[in-house]
Amino acid sequence: MNTDKRTRKDNLFRHEAILLIVLVAEWIFFRAIGRNFGTYDNSCDILRHSCEIGLLALAMTPIILTGGIDLSVGSLLGLCAILFGKLWRDGHLPIPIAALCAIAAGALAGGLNAALITRLRLPPLIVTLGTFSLFRGLAEAITHGLDTFTNFPNSFLFLGQERWLGIPAQAPLFIAIAIFFWLLVHRTTFGRSFRAIGFAPEGARFAGIPAGRRVAMTYVLAGIVSAIAAIIYTARLGQAKADAGNGYELFAITAVVLGGTSIFGGTGSVHGTLLGVAAIAVLQSGIVHALQPSEMAGMLTGALLILALASSVLPKTISSLRARKSALKLAKQNA
Amino acid sequence: MKSYFRELSVAGALAILLLVLAIFAPSFYSPQPLLSLSAGAAGSLVVACGMALVIISRQIDISVGSMFAVCSVCAGLLAAMHWPLALVVAASIFIGAIFGAFNGTLVAGLGLPSIVVTLATMVTWREGLRWLRQGEFVNLPEGIQWFGLSQKSGQWALVIGALGILTLLAFMMKHFSIGRFIYAVGSDAEVARLSGIRPKLTTFLIFVLMGALVGLAAIMNIVQSPQVDPQSGTGLELKVIAAVVVGGVAISGGRGNLWGVFAGLLLLACISPALTHLHIEAYWEKAIQGSIILLAVVAEGLRNQKSSNHG
Repeated sequence: MNTDKRTRKDNLFRHEAILLIVLVAEWIFFRAIGRNFGTYDNSCDILRHSCEIGLLALAMTPIILTGGIDLSVGSLLGLCAILFGKLWRDGHLPIPIAALCAIAAGALAGGLNAALITRLRLPPLIVTLGTFSLFRGLAEAITHGLDTFTNFPNSFLFLGQERWLGIPAQAPLFIAIAIFFWLLVHRTTFGRSFRAIGFAPEGARFAGIPAGRRVAMTYVLAGIVSAIAAIIYTARLGQAKADAGNGYELFAITAVVLGGTSIFGGTGSVHGTLLGVAAIAVLQSGIVHALQPSEMAGMLTGALLILALASSVLPKTISSLRARKSALKLAKQNA
Repeated sequence: MKSYFRELSVAGALAILLLVLAIFAPSFYSPQPLLSLSAGAAGSLVVACGMALVIISRQIDISVGSMFAVCSVCAGLLAAMHWPLALVVAASIFIGAIFGAFNGTLVAGLGLPSIVVTLATMVTWREGLRWLRQGEFVNLPEGIQWFGLSQKSGQWALVIGALGILTLLAFMMKHFSIGRFIYAVGSDAEVARLSGIRPKLTTFLIFVLMGALVGLAAIMNIVQSPQVDPQSGTGLELKVIAAVVVGGVAISGGRGNLWGVFAGLLLLACISPALTHLHIEAYWEKAIQGSIILLAVVAEGLRNQKSSNHG
């Protein structure tokens, strides 16, 4: 039992160590061949551009730990951005109130996912596929597909475009949320129960963990974080459109899986997710600065994901093949 | 009767929608637009059939949209090089099968989760295509559009072809051993293995078939216009998964049939024209599609709860 625990921890550590090496290698490589890559300004840009996907990936981590998935976060980002813009421009609400309303709407939408998944015991993949369509559809219906909200006041755009104490203004918020998720997953009983539920849902229930409530919590948190990401997104681009955050859910899932969290649930870490987000963001920025087509970054992200997955199972596959071979040999000898 | 409850209720919903249209918007039933609608949905139907098999075997393939785009562009380029049509069709199916085999190798061979594998291949193929072609449209030569037939007979050919494939696959799932293997593997791969079925080989073959069907669907799509859009197939994966789920295939595998998928696809495909004919703003299409998916799973969930309470 003891050794088993240690090897699992070692494996997890090894995965993150490899990812860290990849990240450093990326940095050195692009620093060498890219123009202006790795300067302070460029680093701030990387941080700024990876903020929203980073937030979604952070919120996705506990969900995937419990063995679930949330395809609706990108659409919810779009819906919350639209609601926020609508309440501010047409509802004449002050920015902070509009932002709070958007966050409340995000929590409500996350609650809808949570209720369907935990109350009716429906598969998360399908429920969030439905809400993926529903949330984006509502955003399109509200804006009639073409209305765009712009001309936000400068005091609001500061959050997305300016620097505060020398770092991008959204960075402190991102760091605070990252610390919150790290503490939640790694230093509380909630985090333990997420892993237990992902590892063995029935076992967790028999162990007295209120599995439904804990799973519901992860989806509501994802709704809230999607709304926060929507506000930062709107502040960064200076506009809110119905297609905001299109496809972000896939980037977020990629970052989480790249970060070593098992898609089946049970194992994974928040710092792994952060490394995954960083690896993708640095790759994207580096490719652009190395004057290569940006599509290459997407291709390499996909390839990196396949490699990361294959490297996590290859040792197991090889050892099981070897075991089968020796078993066959043994059977032959006995015969 | 009871075991086909899901399929019948989808068919019922479709019938109600068609009835509402017949009363309030009889213009929906003019033959030419209806034929165009069916021809437009023919490619999706072929992909949805493949996706149904994949989901019944308890896997998923979200790379179909990207494979569709790659096959479309490759077929377009070959047609532009004046290859004969039959060879273009064969090449497109072959290319699709190769991509499917790649997914199948990773999923069945290495035992990786299909959702992550196909997520990765989806991004890789799509970006690779964008990189190589820079979003350039491919102009098709004469004689490719509508297979060189008139528009009407071309559309009929597409509809009949898609229905033929649906019938063939539905028959295979019911009466051929490979069909029963797919249900068995989806219900419980370990039990299937112990009964002498090879789950890995079955899974691999399903992914190859999925790719081949996508290649065929790509052809069915490009013959409908004089150009090939390199962005085609974006979002196709979610569209067909929605049709499959609404059609009563259980996402946990082992349950469902292709006639339900057919009804589910028709229901979702009819929404957009129905909105136009009923004078509802078209912007609601996606929201209504999402609600239908949720309604279908909620109905299923409630039914399951009820039956588990009884038993």
